[in-house]
Amino acid sequence: MTGSTSTELLRAEHLTRHFKIGGVLSRLMLHAVDDVSFSIGEREIVALAGESGSGKSTIARVLARIYKPTSGEIYFEGKPVSQLRSRSDRLRYSGLVPMVFQDPFGSVNPVFRVQHGVLRSLKLHRPSLSGPERAAEAARVFEAVGLSADMLQRFPHELSGGQRQRVGFAQALAMRPKLILADEPVSMLDVSIRIGLLNLMAELRDTTGVSVLYITHDIASARYVADRLIVMYAGQIAETGPIDEVLASPRHPYTQLLLSAVPDPRAPLSAAAKTDRGEPPKVIDPSPGCRFRYRCPLAIDTCAQVTPVLAELRPGHDAACHIAQADANQVRAFS
Amino acid sequence: MSDVPVLEVSGLSVDYVLDRGNVRAVDDVSFTLNRGEFLGIVGESGCGKSTLLFAVAQLLAPPASVASGSVTFEGTNLVGLTDSQLSAIRWRDMSVVMQSAMNALNPVKSIGAQFKDVMKAHGKPARDEIEARSAEVLRMVGIDPVHLRSYPHQLSGGMRQRSMIAMALLFTPDLVIMDEPTSALDVVAQRSLMAQIKGLQLAFGFAVIFVTHDMSLISHFSDRLMVMYAGQVDELGATRTVFDRPLHPYTQGLLEAFPSIRGPKVPLRGIPGNPPDMARLPPGCRFGPRCPHAVDKCAQVAPELVELDEVMVRCVRRQDGSLPVSADHKGAGQEGSLSR
Amino acid sequence: MAMPVFGVPTETAAARVPDLGSGHAFARVARAIRSNRKATVGTVLLVLFILIALFPGVIAHESPTQDAYAPQLGISTAHLLGTNHFGQDLFSQLVWGTRNVMIIAFVVGLATTGLAVLIGVAAAYLGGLWDSSLNVFTDVLLVIPLFPLLIVIAAYAHGGTTLVLIAAITLTSWSYTARQLRSQALTLRNRDFLEAARVRGERRLYIIVVEVIPTMISLIVASFLTNALYAVLLASSLQFIGLGDPNTVSWGTTLYWAQNNAALQTGEPLWAIAPGACIAVLGAAFALLNYAFDEIGNPALRPVRKNRRPGVRRAGA
Repeated sequence: MTGSTSTELLRAEHLTRHFKIGGVLSRLMLHAVDDVSFSIGEREIVALAGESGSGKSTIARVLARIYKPTSGEIYFEGKPVSQLRSRSDRLRYSGLVPMVFQDPFGSVNPVFRVQHGVLRSLKLHRPSLSGPERAAEAARVFEAVGLSADMLQRFPHELSGGQRQRVGFAQALAMRPKLILADEPVSMLDVSIRIGLLNLMAELRDTTGVSVLYITHDIASARYVADRLIVMYAGQIAETGPIDEVLASPRHPYTQLLLSAVPDPRAPLSAAAKTDRGEPPKVIDPSPGCRFRYRCPLAIDTCAQVTPVLAELRPGHDAACHIAQADANQVRAFS
Repeated sequence: MSDVPVLEVSGLSVDYVLDRGNVRAVDDVSFTLNRGEFLGIVGESGCGKSTLLFAVAQLLAPPASVASGSVTFEGTNLVGLTDSQLSAIRWRDMSVVMQSAMNALNPVKSIGAQFKDVMKAHGKPARDEIEARSAEVLRMVGIDPVHLRSYPHQLSGGMRQRSMIAMALLFTPDLVIMDEPTSALDVVAQRSLMAQIKGLQLAFGFAVIFVTHDMSLISHFSDRLMVMYAGQVDELGATRTVFDRPLHPYTQGLLEAFPSIRGPKVPLRGIPGNPPDMARLPPGCRFGPRCPHAVDKCAQVAPELVELDEVMVRCVRRQDGSLPVSADHKGAGQEGSLSR
Repeated sequence: MAMPVFGVPTETAAARVPDLGSGHAFARVARAIRSNRKATVGTVLLVLFILIALFPGVIAHESPTQDAYAPQLGISTAHLLGTNHFGQDLFSQLVWGTRNVMIIAFVVGLATTGLAVLIGVAAAYLGGLWDSSLNVFTDVLLVIPLFPLLIVIAAYAHGGTTLVLIAAITLTSWSYTARQLRSQALTLRNRDFLEAARVRGERRLYIIVVEVIPTMISLIVASFLTNALYAVLLASSLQFIGLGDPNTVSWGTTLYWAQNNAALQTGEPLWAIAPGACIAVLGAAFALLNYAFDEIGNPALRPVRKNRRPGVRRAGA
């Protein structure tokens, strides 16, 4: 049922990405992602959840090879991605691991008809197809994402936001990917349209076997569509595991805070989330220790001195918290 | 809450005057707001909620203009007043909080300087009064007054938004209008900001009109809820009543489109289709093409907003009884999931 | 690194893009020109000038250079603008001179804009060291005062032919446009559809030429129109002060001869005024088109019409 027994498709090991910030003379480093390790299996949807500054978008861009990791390695189908040198190798990877972007208004070139991106994807990644074959394949891919084939000739401004996002998925699908990196694909869409896109992702997983890394800040949508959950805070993984288990019994205080802050009209308001006024930090040249300690009501001395490592608390369920690792039952930070 | 309503909107319609003809963005909207009441206006893009807000605040700019109706604020009709007449009311009795603080705050002036500008524009000349009041409102929203000297980019997103709210409260107005003030914030900051707003509202007794697309966020804070679709009000009633027993199929669809955090998992449908093009509205009910309960009558008769069981609803089938409530009541209990 | 904005609801697509409907680019442009008054007038004028430049013999039957007629004739049906001091038909001169002016306008416009696109967009997209070095190059040229430089170049070229004029003006004008285009390209650089193209595996040159430049078309067209306009003004000015080839037939050279023979003082005002008027009208045509493209591209700039519905009174009271 969960991804732990499926074949491993992608594995990130100790992925780190820093950005130099400040002026020409400054030495400040923004630690966007620090020592992150996780894996994604075949045929599964993994949700990467966190707030702003958590590093989730940076991870997507590192996986898409838009950024090179400062250190660490990515293994795709067992082979290290940094070893991809030739253009054909890199092209092959970008076809197997495409990205879908957040902004439906910015992710499609407004000057061309919407078929442009799909046709280019096909031309670059499936060069054996002839012109008519490409056109037929474009129509097929459009229908697979729920758009009619006659929409191929439309311009982006004639389509709604939800339809444009589907075009983004079509562009990715055209390359016959194994893993789609979906960077907040529904955040900018109307609520009633989101479900349609989420259903589409699940359907693609079931019919074509493609995996999806679903990056989001909305835990509820993650629960709806994902098999596993990775919770990030300030560039590090706080907790990870099968989604139902993590949401039913969250071990990391931050996960608990997130859950308590999610608005649920059916449940009464939680008191704790109301009082937390902290916001995720910008991590610049951090000192060791848990980055959540400033907001954590359970923080102890160790938390300020030793950076917690991700450790397994239950099969498949890991958390990076000293207190949780000592005794998981003690973690009741935010109810 | 006293009996005299603080705001009475009656038959308000707003048109956009375009080359190809007028497009009615807000169609015949009426509602009353009592003193200290928290009204949530919910709708998706293109429903007219922001235009409605701007019309109430008299901030419409060409090509938008009020086509008909009135906006009566504490007994005075605001439509047709000149700018100088409006400025007596603006900020002292009614203030506005915009969607993105980064866009609304002047990036080259400190927060304190902007507060001073506002105060000077609307009275309160003495310097120590200005400083004292500025510090006071910042404390009210939980910001240390030392930040009066900070620039907007030095504050976090949540703090910027809270300083916008502080600015709106400088003169303790009777009505604060908010246009999606929490949209740009993370979920934790959103929650604490909402709680803050509610706390201030209860402490100072001002009325709030809160426009949002996030229904679940507003559910714990608003007294009444107004659902808008394609420029019209489709449902209006007490928040709890609307949540527990949504009458309009659109409201039901909206509620069902929020996957839940707890409870059993079931596939959800959302609302298939798209909102109509306001220049080419469908005949009869505007939600008809997307409604799972639509019948022939729905495309022939344009429904009116009618009171039914303490809730105003715009639906022919509810009004003629052909769609009884118990037959399909799902309310706010639908959970959903698609993981294997 | 793009920071995502959370939960901001979308506006309908129509609000962001001018309402030109669907269809191929040419159809949309034609519709746009017809619907905007400035565009219509500007286009008509420009087309008129182009036709005159292409077929001068059709309108002006007399030769422009032969001093074959009686001097200082007034306006008549034979000589629509009279003749000048030397007995040349003024109207002919202007008509035949249009060709020279239009050639200069279009060639300089295209060359300047072309250079600017190449250098400006490449600098923005390639970034890093490329950007820095191209910027230095652009800035140096930008800072040198234009007109004195032109005078020096034209003077050194020994009374420049049209080609020299074109080259000199192009060389000194491209840098300003390059700066503008670079700025716009910079704002586009992080747009998602460009990242999507990168992630898809497109080559850099492809992205610049096929994905970036088409989205900058309106600024590029505006630059072309501005540069063409300034080319006309600059060339005419150079010719007027004698740095052009005085034997070419052009509006500027006509002015030169008029000036040399004190046309205004000796009672031949048309000789001086007519070419100036032509320059002004052509300039206006380019300027109108420029405004019109602005309005077409950005609906917010369009003139606001009053509420057309009769019987709508200001509500309330």
